[in-house]
Amino acid sequence: MTLSDLELERYSRQLVLPEWSGAAQERLKAASAIVVGAGALGSPVALYLAAAGVGRIGVVDWDAVELSNLHRQPLHFTPDIGVGKAENAAVKLGALNPEIVVEPYPVELTDANAEAIVTGADVVVDCSDSFPTRYLVNEACCAQGVPLVEAGVLGFTGLVLSILPGRSACYRCAFPVEPPPGSVPSCREAGVLGATAGIVGSIQALEALKLLTGVGEALTDRILQLDCRDMSQTLVVTSRRADCPACARVPAAPQSA
Amino acid sequence: MTTLDLTGVVCPLNWVRTRLALEELDAGEEIAVRLDPGEAIESVPRSARDEGHEVTVDGTLVTIVKR
Repeated sequence: MTLSDLELERYSRQLVLPEWSGAAQERLKAASAIVVGAGALGSPVALYLAAAGVGRIGVVDWDAVELSNLHRQPLHFTPDIGVGKAENAAVKLGALNPEIVVEPYPVELTDANAEAIVTGADVVVDCSDSFPTRYLVNEACCAQGVPLVEAGVLGFTGLVLSILPGRSACYRCAFPVEPPPGSVPSCREAGVLGATAGIVGSIQALEALKLLTGVGEALTDRILQLDCRDMSQTLVVTSRRADCPACARVPAAPQSA
Repeated sequence: MTTLDLTGVVCPLNWVRTRLALEELDAGEEIAVRLDPGEAIESVPRSARDEGHEVTVDGTLVTIVKR
């Protein structure tokens, strides 16, 4: 897979990175990513993956754009109110980078479709806003051996964890007990500034790019916790659990890139 | 030895093309690159040296031995 003159120019500022290479860029072009949720985290994730040249991006979101989304979801603009988020993501990302293919999935992720949607992806980025969906995405990625970048944002705080199924701690290894409904305030109750979600989503996008290219060292077996009130950052070490119902029986995924 | 004509190609695209050509080579192999005077001939050899390659400059012709 070779890069055209236009692609070389488009990606020139990342191609000159000493850590990057033409081979890394070609790996991105050949890669397929699934972004679950086109909201506060999904907006920066989808924008940066598209801009960086990930060849195929699937965007899963069954919601429509609302006025109250716009302060934190920079993929969606005021004239897009009422439009499906997945469809709007495809339009916006296609305009940002016509070199790539964007596939909208205007569906709700469920037990019935999750594995089929993540199968064949080289990375999944979970930008969902509910705990049941997070555990569902984690389980589907573990079952299919697809690398996953998990994250959450609440108020001024956020966390990020990259997962190589069968090789590093999965989301359920790190958080074995699913919070009962209502025990953790939802985004709607807790509130969030768009810029906070932007930081966390940008870290997720960077992790996905690292996993896809093999550049750098992924945030595996360490949970990055951010508190944007004072910009403090903590890395909490985590590890696989031998009895993890999601990943204990998963064979090690092939080394990405 | 391959000679890459990058006259008329501006920074940083000239360095991008040089790096891509270097990626195709084995260590110890060399490539010659023809560049514009000015920013290009000042910048590309410096970038190549920064990445550890052996660089000789003769006018606007740069020879790079891959490290």
